[in-house]
Amino acid sequence: MHKRIALVLVFVFGILGIIPFLIPHPIVQNFDEFIRNDILRILAAFALALALGSLLRVHVDKIRRKRVNWQYSWILILSFAISSIIGLFGGVAGTGLLKTAIGSFHFDIQTLYENIIIPLASSMFALLAFFMASASYRAFRARSYEATLLLVSAFIVMIGFLPIASSISSRLPAFAQWVLNVPNVAGQRGILFGIALGAVATSLKIILGIERAWLGGGK
Amino acid sequence: MKLIDRMTRIDRRIIYFILALVVILPLVFPTVLKVKPMAPVEALYEAVDKIPADKALILDCSYAPQIKPEVEPMAVAVLRHAFARRKKVLVLVLYVQMLGLAQKALTQVTGEFNVKAETYEDSIIYGRDYVFLGWTPPPLIPMLGMGESITAVYPADYYGNQTDTLELMQQIRNYNNVGILVCLSGSAIPKSWVAYAQNRFGVAVGVGCTAVSGADFYPYYQTGQFTGLMVGMKGAAEYEELVEENLKVAEKRMASEAMLSLTYAHVIIMIFIIIGNIGFFFQRRRK
Repeated sequence: MHKRIALVLVFVFGILGIIPFLIPHPIVQNFDEFIRNDILRILAAFALALALGSLLRVHVDKIRRKRVNWQYSWILILSFAISSIIGLFGGVAGTGLLKTAIGSFHFDIQTLYENIIIPLASSMFALLAFFMASASYRAFRARSYEATLLLVSAFIVMIGFLPIASSISSRLPAFAQWVLNVPNVAGQRGILFGIALGAVATSLKIILGIERAWLGGGK
Repeated sequence: MKLIDRMTRIDRRIIYFILALVVILPLVFPTVLKVKPMAPVEALYEAVDKIPADKALILDCSYAPQIKPEVEPMAVAVLRHAFARRKKVLVLVLYVQMLGLAQKALTQVTGEFNVKAETYEDSIIYGRDYVFLGWTPPPLIPMLGMGESITAVYPADYYGNQTDTLELMQQIRNYNNVGILVCLSGSAIPKSWVAYAQNRFGVAVGVGCTAVSGADFYPYYQTGQFTGLMVGMKGAAEYEELVEENLKVAEKRMASEAMLSLTYAHVIIMIFIIIGNIGFFFQRRRK
């Protein structure tokens, strides 16, 4: 029964999502605005609460059962609790109920973000440059005609977009731009058409209840 | 081991060391490398420059800390351009983890202008010149909702002020009052702006993206769905160049200062690829 309700809801709201793009009548547009601004926002808030609850439950369970690397779950829970308290009661820039400064030492949410999240995330991503350099040296070999073509076009685009390109040849930047504007666009457009048609087909299958894998429960 | 074999088996630690050296050294001794702006960046600059006085620029700072070095200079350059030309600016993000970065860019640029301002009129004032709308989930809500009413989608701004009480929001009600929406992102968000905001409401969309996602966006630029396009750090440096050249805004140019590192890193990677291929070519001939 509950699966049937979910299918009916998906059908109704799927169709309601399409109609406003086709019918500009004020009644349809106002109803669409009501769904988006009120219902969708409430659903999103519930989804957020559900996601946070689920995250905490997974990590509490990990600690209780002492699974591999369970110690790290304490870090997550503590970080979650501290940042939530500071964020909720400290205000955006330390202007809330909670005092977020001791002398010149600030620990408001923006300071924490700028000094912990940004450096950590940036450092993780920066490591990619080293792996990419090593991987491209090992894998980028002219083994076949197609690989050679790829190698040559990659070199043209790489050199063409460097500031030194115009010193090598005045036509090189324009040629690199042409590679992106013409052969690249031709290939990308074909892929985009394929993706768009695939997305339309899959969406219709879900709205009409033909595709039901998202309901779960199957083997 | 013969030289040819060595050429195909360079230890990865050597590659890491040389790469680290060529990236770090130019950053320790920063030098601004001049770049020639290309057509997609010039188109974006022109579009922002020509925003009518009664319309605003919406800046979507949907970039995460991972891509900050590439995309943050774009946000800073666009904000400098907009404030120097006295354009009205609305800033928003589509995901919560990006709020801090948008706030950081806004604080930096408004600080740069306000420290030089001599009068209240010269200053960049919150609520009069710009508003930070913050974040509202899911992304579909602001994309479609701002076509009807911006204050309905964002009843309160990032700082908790009622948006309908702000001076700027009395003038900027929906997409009809928006000159261009510039989306800075490393994901597929700009395509969603085209699908929902541009196709349905006709708002112009400009984009700043990472170099790796640039190739995906060229079809949209070619069709005119993207008014302009800034790709990667080079795109940011080109925009910085245009801002400094045309508006004489002489502030720290983050992307332009990093161009030397970027250039050396690319050259080193290309040299290693060439060495590997020479070794591979001779090895294959030997067999």
